[in-house]
Amino acid sequence: MKLFPGMSNYVWAKYRTPAEKQLMNTPVEELAKKGLSRRDILKGAAVGGAGAIVASSATLAELNEGKAEGDPIPVGSALPFTGWGAHDAIEFRNGIEMAVDEINALGGVLGRPIEMHWEDTKNQSADEVVTAFNRLIDSKEVHAIINGYNIGPNNAEYEPVADAGILYLHHNTLLHHHDTVMSDPERYYSCFQTDPAEYWYGLGYIQFLSWLRDTGQWKPRNNRIALVSGSTPYSIVIVNAMNESAAEYGWEVAYGPEIVKTPTTEWGPTLAKVRAADPSAFANTHFPSQEIAQCQNQFMQDPIDSLTYYQFGAISAVFTDIAQENALGTTVATVIGQLQDEIGTTFENKYRELYGENSTPLVGCETYVSMYHWAMAAALAGGSGEPGDYDQNRKVAYRLQKLIYRSVVGSVNMHPEWQAGIPYPDYTNDPSLGQPHLFFQIQEVSPVRALVAPEPYNTGHFMIPSWFKDNGGLPQIGA
Amino acid sequence: MTAFLVIFESGLSLGAMYAAASIALSLVWGSIGMLNMALGAMLAIGGYASFALVEYLPVPWWLGFLASLGVGFIAGAVLYYVTVKWMYRVPTFDTSIVIATVGVAIVIENLLVKIFTAYAKKQPFLVDDGILMGSVTMRYQSLINLGIALVIMLILSWYLNRTRAGTAILAVAQDRDAAQLMGVPVERIFLLVMVIAGVIAAASGVLLTAVIPMSPYVGHEPLLKAFIICVIAGLGNLPAAFVASFVLGWFESAVSYGAGARYGFPAMLVLVIIVLLWKPYGVFGRRRVTRV
Repeated sequence: MKLFPGMSNYVWAKYRTPAEKQLMNTPVEELAKKGLSRRDILKGAAVGGAGAIVASSATLAELNEGKAEGDPIPVGSALPFTGWGAHDAIEFRNGIEMAVDEINALGGVLGRPIEMHWEDTKNQSADEVVTAFNRLIDSKEVHAIINGYNIGPNNAEYEPVADAGILYLHHNTLLHHHDTVMSDPERYYSCFQTDPAEYWYGLGYIQFLSWLRDTGQWKPRNNRIALVSGSTPYSIVIVNAMNESAAEYGWEVAYGPEIVKTPTTEWGPTLAKVRAADPSAFANTHFPSQEIAQCQNQFMQDPIDSLTYYQFGAISAVFTDIAQENALGTTVATVIGQLQDEIGTTFENKYRELYGENSTPLVGCETYVSMYHWAMAAALAGGSGEPGDYDQNRKVAYRLQKLIYRSVVGSVNMHPEWQAGIPYPDYTNDPSLGQPHLFFQIQEVSPVRALVAPEPYNTGHFMIPSWFKDNGGLPQIGA
Repeated sequence: MTAFLVIFESGLSLGAMYAAASIALSLVWGSIGMLNMALGAMLAIGGYASFALVEYLPVPWWLGFLASLGVGFIAGAVLYYVTVKWMYRVPTFDTSIVIATVGVAIVIENLLVKIFTAYAKKQPFLVDDGILMGSVTMRYQSLINLGIALVIMLILSWYLNRTRAGTAILAVAQDRDAAQLMGVPVERIFLLVMVIAGVIAAASGVLLTAVIPMSPYVGHEPLLKAFIICVIAGLGNLPAAFVASFVLGWFESAVSYGAGARYGFPAMLVLVIIVLLWKPYGVFGRRRVTRV
């Protein structure tokens, strides 16, 4: 598969200054010989060579030459603090606050500290989200909006962002983002989805099941799977991707895709159908953590030897708070999550120290990474731009596009046309060029999740769930 | 047989949940003509009161449940003094109180968010296990909810029909002005109804949050369902509301099982339309006649 089909720089090339164009053609070693500072070299590297550099958080420290003592840069975040996604909003705010404190300690963005402004998007409807964005842009004059997710507006919030030209980094995780950005790249140059689209959950899940089967970590008793989805377009895109790719990998969809209404608290009839289909694996792409925890509780009233999977929602600590022991063995995935390597665990330990043992760094890491990504791009671009400063913000967007950021979630690499993260291994086979699509298993009643895939990032091992009557001689949770 | 048991068990669980919510709504609506849109928030208050007492004091779950009734008592009284006391003489009481209670609900829900955050909580008053009936597990929690809702309905029916205070409530429900002329202290009756409704809402809130994970907005869907049930059953008819809760619960489950989970609620709404076309005052309701 070609990594960058139809890759084109036509949107960006005209925003390069003559000096930048010269830097692009000048080797870094020559710049050093000319007595340029590391900051100059880093800025040059950002536009040089193949058009991308690999950066880490330390890059920002290299770009700053003093303390953050200038005028603050207003940055906004509009999160669902009081709606059904509140548990994630709290983590998103934690991630941003942690990043901002660190960035300001490193000298801010070229000496200017970041000053945060918050808005509540409640239940993430289009009017709630757009109103919040308008307040941030018109009243607070933010230079960028760094967000978790707001699934409801279906990109309606892109319009005030595009009108103002400010940077917008979010984790809505929607395929619809690709369509919107590619429909008018000139207008939506500043809208970035800092993780891969939800579509990849579907294909990735089928590949994950197949990997478990083919490597002998799990011996499915048949090739049947059951698929259930919430009624939001987000959940349906995922379940359809599962449905479409199942046969290619040798799976038969024995039940579903069955769509349940959102919200749903009574899973009895749906689970009865799942049990009757006798699947080896049962995937539910419904989103709210508390409701899928309820599903798992009701599944466990009469469990069958079926591997359960809940897309993303089971990442949150609230899932194990509600499901408790019933959760043990459940699998869950995220297309963006903190790794359990040295960089990731350092972040995780600090996060838990700051926000408590029951916090969820797996969620907080998303906005933590985005805040750093934007700050580095702004520093490389020579500063951020206020609403209406289109030229400066195009420079920042250009840097974001070109900066491969090795972060706590792996390599954040924006696709040049989608302006969204490229997933590994779903799209690229090179882990240095994509964000790993992480699969976890709940192996203890705590916020900790065992990272079981993909290689080479997995640090845990898959185990047969506790409720299986026949473990096939394989390691089983609680056995 | 399995299909029947699945529908029976799931419908019973839903019905118990709907019954718990609809009794409090039916009482207030039927007796003082007040559509209490703050009921959802009062359900949440009950759930959080039980949770907070068991989690933070801590006290046993049964004491938490009983104490939540006291919190519901206070919540009912506060709602009366904040809204009803100042509005019940206004000619547009029927509509004004809807707006007022929506406002109160927003305030309560935001206060709960401030105090507890919107992070979902697990209700301590919860029995996880169940009894196996054929191939279907009947949840103990559903049976407990059914039992408590039935007891609440029976006590309330006895209170309304067999006590002086209850008779006074029924008199106010029939004709407020005539009751006042007969010496019934209407203002105190309104307070009494609100307090009783507050206690029932708190108990219902604990039962509901044993089935639905608790959040400040946990009462929204039960309020909607309770509203539908009260309309179908006929205003103020408590036993009818109780029965209608289970009938609709089983209907929703049957449609969910037979046609798909996403069709359960729409089918319920279609049924409501058909019933109201047939019986505009509800299946067990009677036309209200206003004498001039």
